[in-house]
Amino acid sequence: MPSLPANQSRAKRMDRFMAFTISGGGMLIIGAVLAMLLFIMKEAVPLFLPALARSVGTFKAPPSGGAWLDESCKTVVLASRTEGLRALRFPEGTPLAVPTEGPSLPWRTFTAPNPKGEFLVIGADGRLSLARLAWSKPPGENDPAQWTLTPNWQSGVSFETAPDAILHFRILEGGGLGGESTLRLVARTQEGFVWAESPLDATTTIAWKPLPRDPALHPTAAAWSADGRNLFVGTQEGRLLDLDPEAGTLLSSADFGEPIQSLGFALGQSSLLVGGTHGKLGAYQRVRVNEVFQLQAFHDFPRLNGPVLGFQPSQRDKRFLAWTPNEAVVDHLTTERRLFSSQLDGPGLATLAPRGDLILHANDATGALSLWSLDAPHPQVSFGLLWGKTHYEGYEKSEYVWQSTGGTDDFEPKFSLVPLVFGTLKGTLYAMLFAFPLAVLGALYTSQFASPRLRNAIKPTVEIMAALPSVVLGFLAGLVMAPLLERMAVEVLIYPIAVFLLAMLITPFWGRLPQTFRNAFGNGREVLWMFPVLLAGVWLASLAGPWIERVMMGGSYRTWLQSAMGITYDQRNSVVVGFAMGFAVIPIIFTISEDALSSVPKSLTSASLACGASPWQTAWRVVLPTASPGIFSATMVGLGRAIGETMIVLMATGNTPIMDWSPFNGMRTLAANIAVEIPEAPLHGTLYRVLFLAAFLLFIFTFILNTVAELVRQRLRRRYESI
Amino acid sequence: MSRVAEHFRRGGAFVWLSATVLAFCLAMILGLVGFIAAKGMGYFWPSPLVQVQTPDGPVLGEITGREPARVEEPAKTQFRVGNRDIYGQDFRWILNAGLSAPEFPTDALLIERLEYGPFIGRIVSLSHNGQQVATGPTALAEAKGRLPETNRVRRRIQSIEKGQVGDLNQKIEKLRLSRRKLEGASDPSALQALDTKVAALQTAYDALQASLEQSRLEAKAWTLGLQTVDGQVRELPLGSVVRMVPANAMGRLDKLGVYLSRLWEFLADDPRESNTEGGIFPAIFGTVMMVLVMSILVVPLGVITALYLREYARQGWLVRAVRVAVNNLAGVPSIVFGVFGLGFFVYTLGGTIDQLFFADSLPTPTYGTGGILWASLTLALLTVPVVVVATEEALGAVPRSQREASLAMGATKWQTLWNIVIPSATPGILTGMILAIARGAGEVAPLMLTGVVKLAPSMPLDSTFPFFHFDRKFMHLGFHVYDVGFQSPNSEAAKPMVFMASFLLLMVVVILNLFALNLRRKLRERLGGSTF
Repeated sequence: MPSLPANQSRAKRMDRFMAFTISGGGMLIIGAVLAMLLFIMKEAVPLFLPALARSVGTFKAPPSGGAWLDESCKTVVLASRTEGLRALRFPEGTPLAVPTEGPSLPWRTFTAPNPKGEFLVIGADGRLSLARLAWSKPPGENDPAQWTLTPNWQSGVSFETAPDAILHFRILEGGGLGGESTLRLVARTQEGFVWAESPLDATTTIAWKPLPRDPALHPTAAAWSADGRNLFVGTQEGRLLDLDPEAGTLLSSADFGEPIQSLGFALGQSSLLVGGTHGKLGAYQRVRVNEVFQLQAFHDFPRLNGPVLGFQPSQRDKRFLAWTPNEAVVDHLTTERRLFSSQLDGPGLATLAPRGDLILHANDATGALSLWSLDAPHPQVSFGLLWGKTHYEGYEKSEYVWQSTGGTDDFEPKFSLVPLVFGTLKGTLYAMLFAFPLAVLGALYTSQFASPRLRNAIKPTVEIMAALPSVVLGFLAGLVMAPLLERMAVEVLIYPIAVFLLAMLITPFWGRLPQTFRNAFGNGREVLWMFPVLLAGVWLASLAGPWIERVMMGGSYRTWLQSAMGITYDQRNSVVVGFAMGFAVIPIIFTISEDALSSVPKSLTSASLACGASPWQTAWRVVLPTASPGIFSATMVGLGRAIGETMIVLMATGNTPIMDWSPFNGMRTLAANIAVEIPEAPLHGTLYRVLFLAAFLLFIFTFILNTVAELVRQRLRRRYESI
Repeated sequence: MSRVAEHFRRGGAFVWLSATVLAFCLAMILGLVGFIAAKGMGYFWPSPLVQVQTPDGPVLGEITGREPARVEEPAKTQFRVGNRDIYGQDFRWILNAGLSAPEFPTDALLIERLEYGPFIGRIVSLSHNGQQVATGPTALAEAKGRLPETNRVRRRIQSIEKGQVGDLNQKIEKLRLSRRKLEGASDPSALQALDTKVAALQTAYDALQASLEQSRLEAKAWTLGLQTVDGQVRELPLGSVVRMVPANAMGRLDKLGVYLSRLWEFLADDPRESNTEGGIFPAIFGTVMMVLVMSILVVPLGVITALYLREYARQGWLVRAVRVAVNNLAGVPSIVFGVFGLGFFVYTLGGTIDQLFFADSLPTPTYGTGGILWASLTLALLTVPVVVVATEEALGAVPRSQREASLAMGATKWQTLWNIVIPSATPGILTGMILAIARGAGEVAPLMLTGVVKLAPSMPLDSTFPFFHFDRKFMHLGFHVYDVGFQSPNSEAAKPMVFMASFLLLMVVVILNLFALNLRRKLRERLGGSTF
């Protein structure tokens, strides 16, 4: 075979090269575009991954009655009656130096340190001391060996009778400048449960006060409410009581169902955790129902094995640790998800690191300290929370709520997507109510009745309408349309009726005009005649509106709406959104419908007309049904646009995630919600991932709508070809 | 009567009804464009300053709105009274009842100034370093004569502040970074060299500041004594006066001059007073830059994809499915693209680039935060389907005979594509590009996540190396509309700016679309074919 000339072989090489480049590049780009979906999904998936827990080790330590982990989880401080405080380094278990001051040993009794490191001790001398544990660290020092433990001992009152155990205490910060902080305690003595209150810095001797009590009930556990005014008491009989110790009254009570063993709080101190002697686990809150505060059971958790010995909340979110002699679990309050569960062998003391990522258990019998790490980045989200009703703190009942951020650290985030989906559907519905009839009737007229010249003018105008930036529409809706509607809602709403009446009024006269005149000026150009009618409609509406408002609504439609219908009127409401978004959707439905309608084979329309049907009858009974799949497809595409529209909704509504079909208030849609919240969402945080999930839903939903539309359109096209 | 019934039965009435609906749609769109144009373009024309007596004293200002009486509400007139520093608000609604007949005093004056919006009142005197030079009408004439000079001084101050001071700051910052790097190496001589450099720069900086201070004093030397209509007196340095408009004493030609100068300021100047006054040049520039970068990215992407789909891929169900999928991407909400841009481009890609190349300046992100490159890339992804669809359509419309002729003469596939197919498809590709630009220019939602800001300190293109700064944030017309209209504390005063920005954006999009539609129509006429 003779070799090719140089330029030919260069051409061949070039051809092969370009074929490779374009095929490779094309596939790469298509792959990249489709990988978008995967990326968005990948960002949302960790929400649903189960928590990961693993054992990090076990080491020996003398038995202790309390443990405190510091924020960085590098140290643990153990408290015991006989030896006071000891500190160990994590996770090696080597001892660290501890200052020796403090109440005289052996302590009579003490409480386990709370997550802030606060605990009470009654020393050998019977005097009460408060410790606030903290590590003082040289700046930038990460080695615990260089840190110093500062217990900040503060000695206080003595008691007339020494208690057997202090059950719970709360420090009430003094109000205002220089206000005195007070300490409230509840303790168990020989006489039963008692309480006391003293200024934090007092050193006098005080007496215990008895609790109001029903002799039939036997208290087993007690805890102060967040503000220290109420005392929650659990009893042997399974009653949970809410007492006002100062007034000596029982405020409310609830039935737990089994003897109560222990009480605790989740982060924020407003959700009371209750554990029973047979492992029942529940959460209660004081909530105002019908103007009265009541104790209400609002969360249930899977039952544990054995009596619940105690609780420890995380300082970051609403997860908490509960343990029995046989197992330790970490549950999340809001979602009731069990994040961690591990078998134990014997009673002891467990504690949860402030960040909730480390669990420590000290076995009383063996002195073994066991450690587990817990990786649960998004415990506050579950499928049920996103799509179902959830009972949140402070709420009377289960509700769909979206409220991603709050003012305080102990805020309970509320991630229900239902109000957002509802808002999206509501906005879409109002937009389609406005857009669908207008677009389809307009398309029908353009394709069937308009003269070719008119048609050539209308189509590009509508295509321009499709290209209008939505931010401009949103601006007009929010700053021009909304105030106008607020001032003249009645006029605006009766305008369509006025125009309809006028149009119906003039049409019979049209029929009486001479045929020649009609042919010369009317047929195919009816649209032009209607512009004056539209103007006349404005005039009619502006006359009738105030009259209606004065005569039928007593002078102000807003008061009328409020009193007669119970509807409040928001300035930026669904009517405004429907109008503006409808404006964006009309051209989409119009263009596709018009294409479908005007592609209906001529043979069909000719046959109909030849049989004596009028043009309208032909259009309505022959053309429209034939092209209906095309109109359906147009509606799907329009729906897709309305669902994903962001700027119009952002600007034309108040963006409040409420669930209310009323046309006179606003909504928050999925798309607008993303735009509002994602700039403040921390990278890879729960909110960030939930917003990615919302984006994923939008993607999938619009993609499906568009695909359905495309398939329907392709089938219709084949049908037209076959006719 | 039977004729009327017949009219309804045969559906003549419904034809009219559908015509009404269509007329309503057309009226809506034309009305919208017309409304924005009128509102936007009309704002710069100097409107008369009206003085009226109200029960609460005299009011002087422009009339900006009227509300006729309706049901229980009395008729009201809205005055733009200006003087935000004195009255606290620019606008005032006044009941028509009890209003005297309007007067148009010729000595009334609207002064546009750098701060607190316009002053509306009268000039009493002109002083130089505290010495009164002129009073009454002469003061106005004298001040007008001096205005160009003080404006020049102000421009100089601004250009020094922006240009030279900025440059010096940048150099000092760069040295600081390299110093931080050297500190670890502990090389005293290099450190010393750096320190002397910093010291030299600091001296230059101080000298510049001194000359700036001099210019500032100069700008403050001339002051105007002003009086509002209700007798309150204010001093205003001539240096902070932008323009003086005695609207009632002006002829049409003078007004046209003011109109053009305001229009020019709007198009070519930086914004003032948190975007509610001044110009929007940075927003126009940012929009253009972003769209340019986007089209540079999107055209090759779209054309290669279309070439592959139409010319190289084996036609079958898979390619059909991919085609449907790519087309449907055009229907995916733009905010989803924004989310992707933020998650992938900004955080993933940008974060990686920062760790690899800009580790020195971490934790301050360079590419790991929104910027013009990421915004353009996001919009390029968003508009790829537009280009693909248009290009495919154009490729498909090239007659088979032409390709076959080329192939029959021994040309390779690529030669045929390059010499025969692509040239005749160029108008189609161009149409796709223009449509993509029009779509991209009007999108705001994805930009909000990927790099647009309300006020960018520096432009993405300037005279410092490497001239085009892909990492910089930028301003955008559409976002300007959203931000000024909805996030600004004084949105009533900012409304005209929003109208004008909307009008500009609308014009860009409409003109581009008309152009593309026209091109496509011509192409279709030449080649035949239909969208459906």
